[in-house]
Amino acid sequence: MIELHRVWKIYAVGPVKVPALSDVSFRVAKGEFVTLCGPSGSGKTTLMRLLYREDVPSEGEVEVLGEELTMLTRRQVAALRRSIGIVFQDAKLLPGRTVYENVAFVLRVLGTPRREITGRVFDALRAVGLSARAQAYPAQLSQGESQRAALARAIARKPLLLIADEPTGSLDEGMAAEVLDIIKDIWAGGTTVLFATHQAALATTLQRRTLSLQGGRLMKDEG
Amino acid sequence: MFGFLLGEALRDLRRAGRVAVSAILLISLSLAALGAFWLLSSNLGQAVDQFRERVKIIVYLKREPPPNESNALVERVRRMPGVAAVRYVGKIEALGTLKQVLGKDAAVADSLPQNPLPASLEITPTAEGATLDGARSLVTRLAALPETDEVGGGLDWMDRFAQGQRLLWLFGLAVGAVLAGAAILTVATATALVLHARRDEMEIMRLVGAPEHVVQLPLLMQGMMQGLIGAVLAIWVLIGCYAILGPRVEPLVTETLGITRLTFLRPLNVVSLMIAGTLLGGLGGWMARGRTEP
Repeated sequence: MIELHRVWKIYAVGPVKVPALSDVSFRVAKGEFVTLCGPSGSGKTTLMRLLYREDVPSEGEVEVLGEELTMLTRRQVAALRRSIGIVFQDAKLLPGRTVYENVAFVLRVLGTPRREITGRVFDALRAVGLSARAQAYPAQLSQGESQRAALARAIARKPLLLIADEPTGSLDEGMAAEVLDIIKDIWAGGTTVLFATHQAALATTLQRRTLSLQGGRLMKDEG
Repeated sequence: MFGFLLGEALRDLRRAGRVAVSAILLISLSLAALGAFWLLSSNLGQAVDQFRERVKIIVYLKREPPPNESNALVERVRRMPGVAAVRYVGKIEALGTLKQVLGKDAAVADSLPQNPLPASLEITPTAEGATLDGARSLVTRLAALPETDEVGGGLDWMDRFAQGQRLLWLFGLAVGAVLAGAAILTVATATALVLHARRDEMEIMRLVGAPEHVVQLPLLMQGMMQGLIGAVLAIWVLIGCYAILGPRVEPLVTETLGITRLTFLRPLNVVSLMIAGTLLGGLGGWMARGRTEP
């Protein structure tokens, strides 16, 4: 499902070269739930960006869903992303649209037939426990609800891989647990999950395979 | 999908607000100016065509030929390229015509010791022969005939008239082009504002793998809509001006140019203006997209 082979990502800051990822290699099999754990600045987001081809590695190979990502054309990148659900720390909901419209929006831009959209949106909203808030605007939602709406948007397309980049990072413990439960349900439905967090305790409670990043290096791969 | 893209384009148009309104007005202004000059020019062109249809070239002969020679001469001239019809006018017929023109003073002609009028050929050119170049070469050929004394009815005045018509058209095109340039830049600015307003949406679209045309088309379409609305407004302005000013100007035009009535732009011209407006708007939208594409 995911394979990184000796991946380096180096940013040039003026004359100085800063390695964000150094010689990272790992594999994630189909159907796995993997936690990517590390403090802020450890390279989690950089690694995630490589997986949905928002960025390319300076060296090494990144393979996702059987595609080597470095040489993909723009069209191939779009095709790849259609199979990946992405959730960020800030939910990135569109403020001028309701929760329903936010979820429906991505289905419409991907050309989902109109008759299927309502059903799929409500299926996704039910899965995250947000169907009662379908007509609410993002400004009317709590942070936890916003994150659940973002998850609904990600799973409405039935992705093969869910990339969650610190979705619980700005939530309190109770809300974080709720969001995590939803992500586990999504994984239980067969979706491969890569979940990034800076909270080591959260990674421990998950009791799943954990990749620990520190200073851009993969320090541990356990569980 | 088209309905969705159209909906997004309309949403973008609303977002652009006053800048979009300015762009629409500028497009209207440029197309109205272009259309007005087009209208003037086409009416002048109509006058030129009418003049051309009535054009006759007169070849005055050195001496009146005997009947068998005059028939041969007429036949020779009729075979010349650019000649539609030839009529021989003898000295007696010419004098009769003069008397008709003089009316009650016709006796003056009778008092002349001899008929001073020359025999002539009255030539009606073909459509090709009535063009400026055609007429010029026909006159040259006729002047070269050994029987010719002088050729009258040249088209120099029409040459100047048509040149004026072309200048008017070019001036209109130049004014329209300058205004169109300003309109394109305004549409581009409106689109840039839209891009700023919808950057979050575009980011989401790209992250979920929307095809690039779905991301870009609403921008292009909102520019095209601005252009189309501007063109429709311009056409309404032209129709309004034509309805108000036409009846007032028509008598003057009839008197000076000889055309019975002013005509409005043909449907094809109107469609061309609408297409031009849509393309102008689309170009503005496309330019802004080109500037900000990630």
